[in-house]
Amino acid sequence: MNLAVELTGAVVERSGQRVVHDVDLTVAPGSWFGLIGANGSGKTSLLRALAGRLPLAGGSCRIGGEELVGDRAARALRFGFSPPADKLPDALRGRDVLELIGGSIDNVCSRLGKLHEALGLAPLLDRWIGDCSAGMRQRIAIAAAFAGGHTFVILDEPFNWLDPVATFDLRDVLRDRVDGGLTLITALHDLRTLASACDAGLMLADGEVALALDEDALRIAAENPQAFERQTIDRLRSESIAGN
Amino acid sequence: MGRLFLQDRLIASNTIRGTFAGWHDWAIATVMLLAALAAAHAWFADRSWMVAAWTALAAGMVIGFGAGRLVGARLAFHVVNGLLAADALSPHASRRYGMAWHGVGLALLAVATLIVRPSLLVVSVASYLAGVLIAGLTGGVRMPKRIAGTTRPGWTLRAWSHRPIAGVVAGTVLLLLLLLPARTLGTNALMAVVGISTMLLALTLTVVDDTIVRFMAIAGRGSRRIVVHHGRGIAAFLAVSVPGCWIMVGPVAAGIAAAVCVAMLLLLTLRVLAYCLHTRRIADFLVSMLAGLLMLVAYSTPIVLPVFALAMFWQLQRRGRTKTWLLA
Repeated sequence: MNLAVELTGAVVERSGQRVVHDVDLTVAPGSWFGLIGANGSGKTSLLRALAGRLPLAGGSCRIGGEELVGDRAARALRFGFSPPADKLPDALRGRDVLELIGGSIDNVCSRLGKLHEALGLAPLLDRWIGDCSAGMRQRIAIAAAFAGGHTFVILDEPFNWLDPVATFDLRDVLRDRVDGGLTLITALHDLRTLASACDAGLMLADGEVALALDEDALRIAAENPQAFERQTIDRLRSESIAGN
Repeated sequence: MGRLFLQDRLIASNTIRGTFAGWHDWAIATVMLLAALAAAHAWFADRSWMVAAWTALAAGMVIGFGAGRLVGARLAFHVVNGLLAADALSPHASRRYGMAWHGVGLALLAVATLIVRPSLLVVSVASYLAGVLIAGLTGGVRMPKRIAGTTRPGWTLRAWSHRPIAGVVAGTVLLLLLLLPARTLGTNALMAVVGISTMLLALTLTVVDDTIVRFMAIAGRGSRRIVVHHGRGIAAFLAVSVPGCWIMVGPVAAGIAAAVCVAMLLLLTLRVLAYCLHTRRIADFLVSMLAGLLMLVAYSTPIVLPVFALAMFWQLQRRGRTKTWLLA
């Protein structure tokens, strides 16, 4: 099978320190891949490196079958990526952000489809980002990842700051889009979303793979999400203790 | 024109429009700009061409170096946290971005040079380009990066400097410093020592971190509480140093210490209010402009100063109120 993303022995360094060690990861096309782990376990660094925002210090990175470990610009072109919501420029409106990435707002809105409504974007388009709350910024940042019409999208903890209604609607729309062919990679802290919405996943601990979750494991998890949550929390806790 | 430049141009123009919202803001900025250009014109006109050329060379290089570093830092931001990382990673697009901003920088410098002393145009333009080149060549040279997880002594000291105990310690240091020269120096020299020492110690107590101010604002702290949080150290310093100077040196020294402390407290308040509203760079620019204006008023019509300063602080505080509670 031609994989959408194939990382082998991936290494990421930040400030001269190795924060991701020899991570192997495969993502099938048209699937939702969830990355979980404790704070500081390397999730964000790995996702940023995958999207070209950070260099990969070692290993192999094949995207759509093409080796791109040394080509950050090509990786950045391949992925739609949600920028950190707190780094969005205060002096732009929601509309400006989306138009800079995706051209005219009509084109962007047609690419967003149901996401436009799920994220409640209409009132945010003419609002200054400096006047937006954290949740509003997060909605714009998520829309930014889809504004360019990419079929590979990376979202770093997309449900942070969102209210329960927006979380529910966004999860549904993302799942719909994945079913329609989108390849989605997200960092998550919500284990129930991982169990119920993702097709595969990975747990990182101290920058290393602690647990790989394939489709079968997540199907079992979805049948009993409470038990899955308990087991995963125990696992995260033990990894955290081992790390200390 | 590339998307990166379009984005930053839009941010810059929106920021300028937001900063200078009313006609009075534009009037203040215009007066300050004209005053600065007139002062520079007068200074350069009084100097020989050689002295003026060396000054223009130094200024052009510093401006070019600063601009080069700024463009480099901005590109690095676009790569890691920006909306258009692919453009920033493309050598062609990033080169065009740099050229566009340096074109703007060169044009502004050329206009300023033509106003100040037209015969220096070649020197200022060439030195700007040399500064940009040096910035590009030294762009890879960085201070050693801190390793994640290690302690940050600078941050710890900064947090400590806002506590009342820091002000008490600084006040004690000032009084100890005055013990020795009080016996050996003349009155004028002693007053200079009082002023300079108070200023240096007050500076260490009034460091303001813009990110902390903004976080406190969005977490619901009003500007008064943020100022109090940052001003406890300098207030304690004032309480210790003024009576101490009075007893040890006399009322004039106490007056100098009090004036310096109050001025630094006002500057701190101005910075806190500006950081609630704007990013660090814009806020610092605004603060330097407002501080210059306060000095101008203090020099020309001191009787108006309290009313003018109060109006300025009230206006900033009123605008800052809209920035609280944005966390949800």
